[in-house]
Amino acid sequence: MRTAATLAAVGALAIVPTCPLASQQFSVGPQVAFGDYRETTADLRYRGSGLGAKASMTWKKVSADVWLSKIKYTPHGGAATTEFDASEVDVKLRYFISGPFSAQLGYMNRKVDPEFEAQSMGAVTLGAQMSHLLGPGVRMALDGGLLLGPKFSGGGSVSALGAVRLGLGLKVDALRGRLIITGDYDFQSVSRETDNGAAVLSAPIQQSLGRVGVGIAF
Amino acid sequence: MTRRSIWPFVAGLLVLPVVLSAQTIQNATLRRAQLAFDNLDYRQALSAGQASLRERLTGYERARAYELLGFTYSGMDSILKAVDAFKQVVLIEPERELDPNRTSPKALSAFQVALTQVLVIRQLRVDSIQFIGGQGNVPIRYTVTQPSRVVARVTGGALGSMRIDSTIANGQVNIRWPARLPSGDPVPAGNYNVVIEANVGQNSFSTSQPIHVAHGVVDTLPHLTSLPGYDYLPETEVPPKSWRPLGLALVYTGVALAGTSALSNGDLGSPSLREGTVIGLGFVAAGFVMTLRKPAPQPARGNILYNQLLREQIARRNNEIAQENTRRRQQVALSVVPLPRVGGGR
Repeated sequence: MRTAATLAAVGALAIVPTCPLASQQFSVGPQVAFGDYRETTADLRYRGSGLGAKASMTWKKVSADVWLSKIKYTPHGGAATTEFDASEVDVKLRYFISGPFSAQLGYMNRKVDPEFEAQSMGAVTLGAQMSHLLGPGVRMALDGGLLLGPKFSGGGSVSALGAVRLGLGLKVDALRGRLIITGDYDFQSVSRETDNGAAVLSAPIQQSLGRVGVGIAF
Repeated sequence: MTRRSIWPFVAGLLVLPVVLSAQTIQNATLRRAQLAFDNLDYRQALSAGQASLRERLTGYERARAYELLGFTYSGMDSILKAVDAFKQVVLIEPERELDPNRTSPKALSAFQVALTQVLVIRQLRVDSIQFIGGQGNVPIRYTVTQPSRVVARVTGGALGSMRIDSTIANGQVNIRWPARLPSGDPVPAGNYNVVIEANVGQNSFSTSQPIHVAHGVVDTLPHLTSLPGYDYLPETEVPPKSWRPLGLALVYTGVALAGTSALSNGDLGSPSLREGTVIGLGFVAAGFVMTLRKPAPQPARGNILYNQLLREQIARRNNEIAQENTRRRQQVALSVVPLPRVGGGR
């Protein structure tokens, strides 16, 4: 039922543009997401895939990206035995500074279901993006930054520079700018520490996420 | 040819016999005198010529009679009488000239002496000309045979009588008339007379030349769309193919993968590069395709500046042309044409 609704939404989005679009200030489209999730030790390894969506907006020097994704992670070659769903929201706002550089501020939130199979977390992201035009209609970007003030469902804390992220982004215009093909890579490494009352324990979290999709530009 | 345009032609044909008869000798006595002169019978020519002057003659015949007497006296070496006879010829026909190839030197010299002894204005000429009012002159020239006070005037139309020159002259005189009113405005269109009056003592002589003044519109200049010899250059140029897109893609991918390895936590085992590799391969593929594709045209800064200069230059020149055209639209093109003269001087 849910898959049918998603497919209907994708089909509707593909039909919407019936006239040439003069500018690409707004785009939206579905994505396929796949990822690798690790937590605490090398034995808690998960891999999974799912669906997502991406919306982008550009206005003068300001641009914004919003990702939604839901991935079903399953244990992969470790001690873990239970799969879980990770629903993630990523929001990034950018302000063009000069040349290829833009400043980036954002927010991420990942909820896990069942709740205690992995850590839900949320954080503010701060960083920078470097972007280059490879050719007509093809733009790629490399960005990185810090995850500030992360909160975890299982508690714990991170030092100021203990949570970092790195990303790649590719956008290809097709059909004279009506259709765009997107590819995004996002890597998060959080050096989380917990205190069980007797000692401070290291409980790192790491996620690699790839997203590939198409979008319709308005 | 329309009926209206036929009438002047028909009128001309009707008047032609009258004109031709005025230019031929009808008087029998004068014809007899001419015949005697042609036969070198000077006494008979003299008596017949003098007899013809006592008869009723046209102006042309009277001038021919005196001319015949002048030639006859010259042939008889009576120079003073020849001069007197030629003086009468000049007074009747001031524009009269003798053909030096068909006239004896004695008669020619007597004629020249006669010219210096009478006050006439000869060879009044007004040249056809077209010019912008205030920026040209109408050339007028004449010859006065004795030193005298000569006044040139233009009369007719709404102008009344306007003096344009006053001088003491002898021989050929050239004057230039700007065709302007005292206020500076161009003279109105219409027909006028250029009147030359000469006075010395009790003697006076005047002659005139009719002219027609027409007004026209001064031509304006066309605006420029380009400067001759200077063409616009293309403002974009296609750069040569380069490996930069592929290189950038490899660098971005490499940085991302290296960063993933560097930032991953050692407690979690070797990092997963699967996701980064998949997206990185997309990067490299896009970079490779972009390397093979024809590069996008890039703005050619030098050409853009050159075109900008060219556009500014054309705009500046068109601005000047617009100002010049505005000035020209307020001007009048004057066209002055001499009309046929009716009658000589007096």
